[in-house]
Amino acid sequence: MIREGRVFALLLFILAYCLIYVYVRMAKGGKVIKARALPPLMAIPEAVGRCAEMGRPLVYTVGIGGTISSGSGPDILAGITILGYTAREAAKRGVPLKFFTTTIDAAPLIEETLKSAYLAEGKSEEYKEDTIELIANQSSLVSRYLGWIQREMPASACMIGYLAYESVVLSEGGNTIGAMQISGTTNQYQTPFLVASTDYTFIMEELWAASAEISGDLYSVGALAGEDVLKFFILAIMGIGLLLGLFGASGFLINLLRL
Amino acid sequence: MAFIKTKGFLAVPLIIAVVMFADYFIAVKEVASLAGILRTWALVISSMALGLGVVNLVRVHGKNIYVRKPGMWIFSTVTLFTFTVVFLAGVLAKQSDLWNWPFQHVYTTLQQTMYAATGFYIVSSAYRAFRARNVDATLLLISGCVVALRNAPIGEAIWGGFSVLGDWFMDVGQLPGYRVFAMVTGFGIIAYSLRVILGSERGFYGGRRE
Repeated sequence: MIREGRVFALLLFILAYCLIYVYVRMAKGGKVIKARALPPLMAIPEAVGRCAEMGRPLVYTVGIGGTISSGSGPDILAGITILGYTAREAAKRGVPLKFFTTTIDAAPLIEETLKSAYLAEGKSEEYKEDTIELIANQSSLVSRYLGWIQREMPASACMIGYLAYESVVLSEGGNTIGAMQISGTTNQYQTPFLVASTDYTFIMEELWAASAEISGDLYSVGALAGEDVLKFFILAIMGIGLLLGLFGASGFLINLLRL
Repeated sequence: MAFIKTKGFLAVPLIIAVVMFADYFIAVKEVASLAGILRTWALVISSMALGLGVVNLVRVHGKNIYVRKPGMWIFSTVTLFTFTVVFLAGVLAKQSDLWNWPFQHVYTTLQQTMYAATGFYIVSSAYRAFRARNVDATLLLISGCVVALRNAPIGEAIWGGFSVLGDWFMDVGQLPGYRVFAMVTGFGIIAYSLRVILGSERGFYGGRRE
């Protein structure tokens, strides 16, 4: 009944769900679960404050891809969640926000997130329709973004979402105008560029952890704790595999994982 | 109605996720059939959205041209002109290669030009990363130089060992790090997906769980 080669994956998925469920119950039951403070997330108010002090706008992009893609979707959704937090900070301090993306299928989500953020701060009239610019494709995004930042000189830039080759171009472009930059993507090939070129970077899954911290509820923090336990479980399997491999007896474990 | 607005829309991703997960793991004919229907729906909805996009494109840019919106109407004219040419080429010249010409000789060429510019940005990014400010950065500088000389033909001409040493840095030095990234991201996506499917993660809906 279970498809061949997916038995272990199913067991892992069930284990992940159980762990998350257990930790969520524990969190709801009063156990204090502390999440590590993420420096890029803590830097967002500083980036918005810099814009307010310098009287310049803040630019934000969630990069490229689509929300229905398994590769880029989670990054983009996490980027939109962090956008909501950033927009609230911007609305609070009267900082103009500009948003660029090629993620056309997420347009309603982005618009609703921004409107809700301004509404939550009681400044819905300050939200402007032209805050969001939807751009046809990756290279067009690069040229539009670079052109815009050269003209408008934003004091801070956030590139948080799914980024491909544009990561190095956008971040180096931001450097040339002296913008404070916060970035994040789970595209592992782009992370080194972002680390080199921006001030703060969400490294890989920190992006989703930040998203959980912003939602700030017990469920999300419990899910993070459950995920950490899952990591230890996988590390244990890797350690066992390493030991068995040293003695030439890893065949059993490999067959088990391929079930 | 209030229930649909507050809870109902959260049930939709949950139901779809359960069906798709079940189809991935379990070989049951009925589930596979239901998952197939959902995939077809996704295609149909995407196609409808495309049609809606065309209407919207003509409406927005037509309005910009009609009211002579400052700084915009020229670009809107170019957009609508390009759209018309490519659309007509697609409809009228399907038998010849003309329909593909704008894509191959205009769009792809422009795209490649932008992509090629990345090289210059990588150089400035590398300069920033490779400044030998401390021990870590110095090690990065040395390994970066070795890998660069391994890839550049001149490296082989200077010393044959750059190839061996560069391969070691790539296969033993950096590959485990990348694999750790990939695995940790995999765990993260499981937890994040569960949060989205179960309706806990709703920041992108413009909401917050209180």
